[in-house]
This record gives sequence, structure tokens and C-alpha cells, in this order.
Amino acid sequence: MTDMVGFDRDFSLGELLSTRDADELCRTLTALLGTPVAMLDERCNAFGSAAHVVGGCRTPLVLELEPVGFLEADCPQDSLSGAARTVRWGLLSRARLRMVSDLHLEAVRADYAKLQQQNEALKASEAKYRELAATLDAKVKEQIKIIDERQLQLYQAERLASIGQLAAGVAHEINNPLGFISSNLSAAERYLQSLEDLRSVVPSTDWQARDLDFLFKDFVELLKDSRVGIDRIARIVKDLKGFSSVDQPEEQVVDLNAQLETLLTVLVGQKPPSITLSTDFAPLPPLLCLPGHLNQAFLNILQNALLAVGDGGIVTVHTRTDGTSISVEVTDTGPGIPDEIRARIFDPFFTTRGVGSGTGLGLTVARDIILAHSGTVTVICPPHGGTRVTVNLPV
Amino acid sequence: MPEFERETNRLTFKLVYYGPAQGGKTTNLMQLHELAGAQMKGELMTLETQHDRTLFFDLLPLGFRTASGLTIRLRLFTVPGQVAHDGTRKAVLSRADGVVFVADSQRTQATNNGESFQNLSENVARVGLDFERLPLVVQFNKRDLRDILSVEDIHERYAGAPWPLLFASAIDGRGVRETFTELLHGVWRRYADDLGLVTEHGLDEASFVTAAGGEAT
Ligand SMILES: Nc1nc2c(ncn2[C@@H]2O[C@H](COP(=O)(O)OP(=O)(O)OP(=O)(O)O)[C@@H](O)[C@H]2O)c(=O)[nH]1
Ligand SMILES: [Mg+2]
Repeated sequence: MTDMVGFDRDFSLGELLSTRDADELCRTLTALLGTPVAMLDERCNAFGSAAHVVGGCRTPLVLELEPVGFLEADCPQDSLSGAARTVRWGLLSRARLRMVSDLHLEAVRADYAKLQQQNEALKASEAKYRELAATLDAKVKEQIKIIDERQLQLYQAERLASIGQLAAGVAHEINNPLGFISSNLSAAERYLQSLEDLRSVVPSTDWQARDLDFLFKDFVELLKDSRVGIDRIARIVKDLKGFSSVDQPEEQVVDLNAQLETLLTVLVGQKPPSITLSTDFAPLPPLLCLPGHLNQAFLNILQNALLAVGDGGIVTVHTRTDGTSISVEVTDTGPGIPDEIRARIFDPFFTTRGVGSGTGLGLTVARDIILAHSGTVTVICPPHGGTRVTVNLPV
Repeated sequence: MPEFERETNRLTFKLVYYGPAQGGKTTNLMQLHELAGAQMKGELMTLETQHDRTLFFDLLPLGFRTASGLTIRLRLFTVPGQVAHDGTRKAVLSRADGVVFVADSQRTQATNNGESFQNLSENVARVGLDFERLPLVVQFNKRDLRDILSVEDIHERYAGAPWPLLFASAIDGRGVRETFTELLHGVWRRYADDLGLVTEHGLDEASFVTAAGGEAT
């Protein structure tokens, strides 16, 4: 009965007193007062076997504010009130006992539920710690690896930045002399035209004896060649400046094709003429990236490919997109990479080439940069030969 | 939600005095027993104690009858403040319709106040009450003592809180009735509409508060 209701409910007379107890109380009171005493419930119905006392007076039995029952007897009100006080005192004791024991029950239940909860929590945390202990070693190693990589990235980022500064400095230094050589050339071309006027002044025998026709013709040719050379230098300087944007750490939205194009112009001048560099570009969506860093990554990959192919080799750059990512494939017709080495090519300081030909960091840097762009690099050596490096970058 | 018994036409509010041990909850009820001018006032029932510290609860029944014939009862309980009796405290708090939080103004008790208040909010949730909607007033008791937080300090600390703040010295009865009055206002505002106290029983806020033993403002 105490299961659903709280300790703080109201107790009826029946809950506090059995009818047998009531009968005994009434008998005792009857003997004490010398007149029949009856007990009534809160609705004034006889409680127990003692019958209504017709014509008697009533006194309420109040525990809190309102009567839980009445005593009824044909006797002076004073005596009845005294009897009621005694009965009330007994009822109140019972009510208190009931309340306290019910409350105790409720509290114990609550405590038990809480204990169970704590026990569950304890078990869960114990399991968690056990699992943690088991994986701690692996986790530490993993963290060390991450820290190592971050350090390398940091080192590379600084290195790239200083290369960028150097490149920018060189480009700036070359630009100045380039400017005056270019304007000097223009002046020289004008002067040459003026010198041609000498033809009408110099006797033709002298002219021919000194082969001045050839001289003038060759002079024009020389200046023209120089002009071509200067333009080429100017273009390279411009590319160098573009490439050197590695010192700009801000992200930019770029067309990756245009970036690769710039990179290739730089490379065309460096590669042996017998090697063919070809492109197969598909239109690409704009890419938010660190252009300088990506340039460096692709430069490293391309340089590797160029070193891998021999005379008559071909290096091809494909770009593709599926809308959500961009893939850049660099294929070469070189000998391919043996399996046991392929697993290590991204390791720092790993190189198959002789000392002095490179730091062995090229591909490591490339991979780190691409990972930093949330991209992936895979290297495949198809059975028909060559190597294919695929870079995937999310748009 | 207050309990309405149709057959006896009786409405019962359960109001609970909550707070840190020795804060003065029992003292509040003892003083209210003297001061409250309610139409009906029962005895203060103090359950077993241990060196003056409540082990179970105290209960003070107050009440009045409306002209419409409705009996309104207010049963004021105290909880045991001692940390160890959390199970009992939670059981006493169950089904509460309003709460007075009795804090101890002494500087040394600031942490206990905070922990007890935290405990109140947790237990309110555990017994399925809505802390946001529960009528609650905060009483800073023991203003008669020396080393207490200043009124400004307390107002500052509770600046963002929505509950009425009251200051009391329960030991000499100061602020006890005012605190109870403030709770009665909160209870009225929260339940009067839901229970149709105005429309069906012709009550208004001021007469409700006065009849229940609060001070008319
Ligand atoms: N000086 C001073 N003492 C007070 C005041 N109110 C209560 N006390 C005293 O503080 C002590 C504790 O008061 P209680 O009312 O028993 O405290 P409680 O909150 O019921 O304590 P628990 O039952 O343990 O939770 C008693 O000695 C009181 O006399 C007050 O306003 N000023
Ligand atoms: Mg107490």
C-alpha cells in the first residue's frame, strides 16, 4: 500500500487504527467515563463495533487541521475532550511512525537507485580505464608520430617561406638590370637604323670591302635574338615571382590548371630537351588552397618524375574532377619503383639517388603539404611500366 | 501540481523549506507557527532530531476555507540539511509545489550554500519537477550575526537569478513571515489560473496570501 503513495499523504482513521484496537479503546474509555463511548470515522459513521450514542456529544480527533474521526459519548464535554486528547496522542504517534517508516522506505529506495547508478558509472569508468591502459602504448606512439610529422611540417613551412623570400629577392634583383638591358636594346635598334643612313655617305667600294651589308643584317639578327632572350628571362622572372608566393601564407582561391601551367614553364627550361612534358587538363572548379605550398608539392613530384625517365621519356600531367574533388595524375615512362622501395618513398630522408642530389625530403614535403590540404597521394606502378602519382584534393 | 480532492473539496499545497544544514529551516517553521495569521493553524510536528538537527522532517499545517466552501491546506515541510541524508531530503522534496531556500548568511557558509543549492536543482530534476517553473524564493538567514555577506554582495551574486531574495533573522522572527508571503505570491502566480482560483472560487491574490497566513502588502 505504501508502494505508490508518498509518506506525506493523509492517513485515514482506518490506516492508523484497526477496528479491534478501536473497540478496545472504546471499552477502556467506557469503563473510565462510566458511560458508553463510540468512535466515528471522518464521515461520522461508526468505526468498530461500538454503536452510535444517541443524544451524546461529539469531539473531533484532529491530527493536523481537520478531524480524522470523532469520539461520541453522553457525558460532560470536558471529560470527552480529555479522552479525545489521549486518543489523539496515540493516533499522532502512529501517524508519525507511519510517516517516518514510509519516508525511510522512500529514501532507502532512492539511495539504492542512486547506489546502483553509481555502481554502473563505476563499472563503465573501470572498463574505460582498462581499455585505455591497453591502448595507451599504441596511443602514445601515434601521438609521437603526429608530433614528429607536425615538426617536420613546421620545418618545411619555414624552409618554404625562406625559399620563397629568396626567390622573390632574386626576381627583384634581376628585374632591375633586365629593365635597363631591355631599354638599351630598344635604343640600340634605333641607333642601328640611323647607322644604315651611312650607306649614302660611304663610298660603295669601302662598304663592300668591309662587308657592311652582312654586318648590318647580322646586327639586326643579333639584337632580335637578344630581344627574344630578354623576353624569356622576363617571363621566367615573372613565373619565379608567381612561384615564390610560398611566402604568402594566406589561402587563396585558384585555378589549379593555371598554377600547374606556371610550374611547367619553369620546369621546361630545366629539363633535358629529349624529355617530353605533356599536359592533359580538364576544366577544374576553383580550389581554396595555399598556392605556394601546393606549387612546391607538385614541383617536387614533377622533378622526381623527370629524374626517373631517361632520354626520350615522357612525363604527362592529367587533371580531372568529379565536382567534389580534383585529381592530378603525374605519369612517367620511367622504370617504375620496386615494391619494397615504394613503401618508403614518402619517408623523410629516404632517397635512392646519390648523396648531394637531393635531401630526400622532396616527396615527404609533397605528401605533408597535400595532407595539410586534406588531400591524399597514392603511388602506383602499373604492370606495363612507369609510375603514376595521383594527388586527390577535396574542393 | 497541488492535490485537489473532489470528494472533500480540498486543495493541498506542499511547500518545502530547503537549504544547508543548520541554516535555520526548522527555526523558520517554529517562528511561522507563532507568527502566521492563517485561519487554520495546526501544531508544528517535529520528527526525531539528533542534537537539534532534523533527521526526517518538520511539518507545519496551515489552512483556510474560502467563501465558496473550498478548503485550502498548506503543508510546510523542512528537509534535513545534512549532506548525508540526501535520500530523505529527496523524498521530502518529492511532490513539492513551492520551495523556500534558506541560505546561511555567514561568510564561512558560502560554499555550503552553493552546494546545497546545486543539490536542490539536481534533486528537483530527479523527483520530476521543473526547476524553471517551480515557485522558489531564496532567504538569506542569520542577518543578526557578525561575519556575514553584505546585502550588496548577495545581490551582486544573485544578480542574474530570477528568484526573489529575502533577508531574515529567523531566530528573532525577522523576515520569516515576509519570506513565506513572497512564496505565497509565487505559488499564486504559478497555480491560480490552472486551478481556477479566481474564476471558480472567487479568490484574489491578496486575500489568498492573507488567509494563508502571509502578510498583506
Ligand atoms: N544567530 C542566529 N542563529 C540562528 C538563526 N536561525 C537559526 N539559528 C540557529 O541555527 C541553528 C540551526 O537552526 P535550525 O533551524 O535547526 O537549522 P536547520 O536548517 O533546520 O538545520 P538542519 O535541520 O540540520 O538541516 C540553531 O541553533 C538555531 O538557533 C538566526 O537567524 N540567527
Ligand atoms: Mg531542521
